[in-house]
Amino acid sequence: MDIMISGLRRRFGRVEALRGVDLAVPGGMFGLLGTNGAGKTTLMRILAGVLPPTSGRVLVGGHDITTRAGRLAVQRRLGYLPQDLGLYPDLTTHEFLEYVGLLKGLDDDAARRRQIGELLDMVGLSDVARRRLKGFSGGMRRRVGIAQALLGDPALVVVDEPTAGLDPEERIRFRTLLAQIAGHRTVLLSTHIVEDVAQTCQEAAVMASGRVVFTGPVTGIIDRAQGATWEVVTQGPPPSTGVVVSAVGRPGGTHYRVVSPTKPDPAAVPVQPSLEEGYVALMREAVPG
Amino acid sequence: MRGRFFAVCRYEFRMQIRKRSLWLSTAGLAVLIAVAQGDRGPRHLPAAADAARVMGSWALLFSMLLPIGFGMVLADRLVRDHRLGAASLLASLPTRPGALVAGKYAGSVAATAVPALLVLLVTAAGEFVHRGDPALFLWAVVAFAVVLLPGLAFVAAFALVCPLMFSAPLFRVLFAGYWFWGNLLGPNYLPSLTGTLLTPIGDYPASWLIGERALYAGAPGWLSFLRPEPGGGAALLSVVLLAVLATPPLVFASPLLARRTSS
Ligand SMILES: Nc1ncnc2c1ncn2[C@@H]1O[C@H](COP(=O)(O)OP(=O)(O)OP(=O)(O)O)[C@@H](O)[C@H]1O
Ligand SMILES: [Mg+2]
Repeated sequence: MDIMISGLRRRFGRVEALRGVDLAVPGGMFGLLGTNGAGKTTLMRILAGVLPPTSGRVLVGGHDITTRAGRLAVQRRLGYLPQDLGLYPDLTTHEFLEYVGLLKGLDDDAARRRQIGELLDMVGLSDVARRRLKGFSGGMRRRVGIAQALLGDPALVVVDEPTAGLDPEERIRFRTLLAQIAGHRTVLLSTHIVEDVAQTCQEAAVMASGRVVFTGPVTGIIDRAQGATWEVVTQGPPPSTGVVVSAVGRPGGTHYRVVSPTKPDPAAVPVQPSLEEGYVALMREAVPG
Repeated sequence: MRGRFFAVCRYEFRMQIRKRSLWLSTAGLAVLIAVAQGDRGPRHLPAAADAARVMGSWALLFSMLLPIGFGMVLADRLVRDHRLGAASLLASLPTRPGALVAGKYAGSVAATAVPALLVLLVTAAGEFVHRGDPALFLWAVVAFAVVLLPGLAFVAAFALVCPLMFSAPLFRVLFAGYWFWGNLLGPNYLPSLTGTLLTPIGDYPASWLIGERALYAGAPGWLSFLRPEPGGGAALLSVVLLAVLATPPLVFASPLLARRTSS
């Protein structure tokens, strides 16, 4: 299911969370990067039919999300993992998935239970299927969250910061899982973690202050720092122009990597940028200061 | 959509019936009532009293206090989806808000009805020991259905929906105040709903079971047109009126919930 968004706005009282978003999301895995408060969650809640837009047009798989019928048509084929999803502490993992499955309209008992079994295997929760959700760790809760999202074999999966707060191993497992399931559907992944996008997405968008400031292949983000990424080795203070992206102390002096449109130091040498440096360069252009 | 309604009802029931607070409040209030009733209470009915009268008196007595606990327990059932962070997920599922509200309501009534019915059946067993009349069990079920259940259904509607407009703790305070003013305060002290067709403690149905005024049903007081002579017809009218009064909060629940989720 592809997504076409144009002129999308959403305000909360005096705060304008989305200020005219235009975005096309093709199939496959698509990354959505942006700072805190950029509007990623607001955008995703609108796509999930939870929040009505203030104005603008949103088509998901050709269905207009602002109509009741269109919203229901999208929701029937949607898997959504909200940011900070809460689970019912008094249900077991299996019961929670049963409940969500029934609410998704999976009325065939045998088929639903088979699917739940497969998903529990896939996310590695089969052993705790009969345990109450109360007391699950952050990683386990997130895995229950992704399992419920995948129930009913959705054509569109919207996941809002699924890797935040996970330990590195769990994070890698999680994003690999998402990449696996993106084979025959659209997966929209929002995150602060540039590395997650670099490792799993071909295409991405970057949001800042309620607008999309970049959309295209992930390599396009790297290109934004091309010719603007420098390495400086010094024993003195860090360079004062540009953004220091990394600093590694070594015996000969501290190695700084700096993103700056101009040479930050007479001794600076240009280097090949990483995705993170591309992201930093993009953000400097989008939100000056 | 009918499948969705039953799913919500079933899971809401399951989650609530596992709540320790539901059982503790019921058991606590029931024991208090059984032990602390005055010598006009049903424990002191003559040995010759018929089963309908015995169980009707017990049902009314339980109905005066048990719903307070139920109202407290139910007060966070609709708002807790937001508190727990499950509301966004629920709103993203292809289930109409109406089915969600109706299912939660039915599940809530069922979850409070089970302990209430159990309390009456246990009481019937206690009475059976010295009265030896098996009809006590039958009348326990009847008394539950006409005295307790309509009140539970009425209380559940307001307990679920009011906290969408003001906070659950405030609702609990107001609810307890209303309960004493509108059900237990004698109508001769202050203008009150006590003794009218609108009292959810089941004064009229209990009067019908007992064969005379159970508590204040029909006693002279404020709003005299709501105080007919007790009897079968008045009992039925009281039950119907309670059901009608419980409808508006349920109708407003869906838009209130939607407003909450989308802001
Ligand atoms: N329900 C709401 N009521 C009021 N303001 C809101 C609401 N939801 C979002 N906002 C505001 O809208 C802006 C965008 O928020 P949003 O949650 O969409 O950002 P985000 O990109 O998801 O941020 P984060 O990375 O921190 O999750 C913020 O300024 C936020 O304060
Ligand atoms: Mg967010």
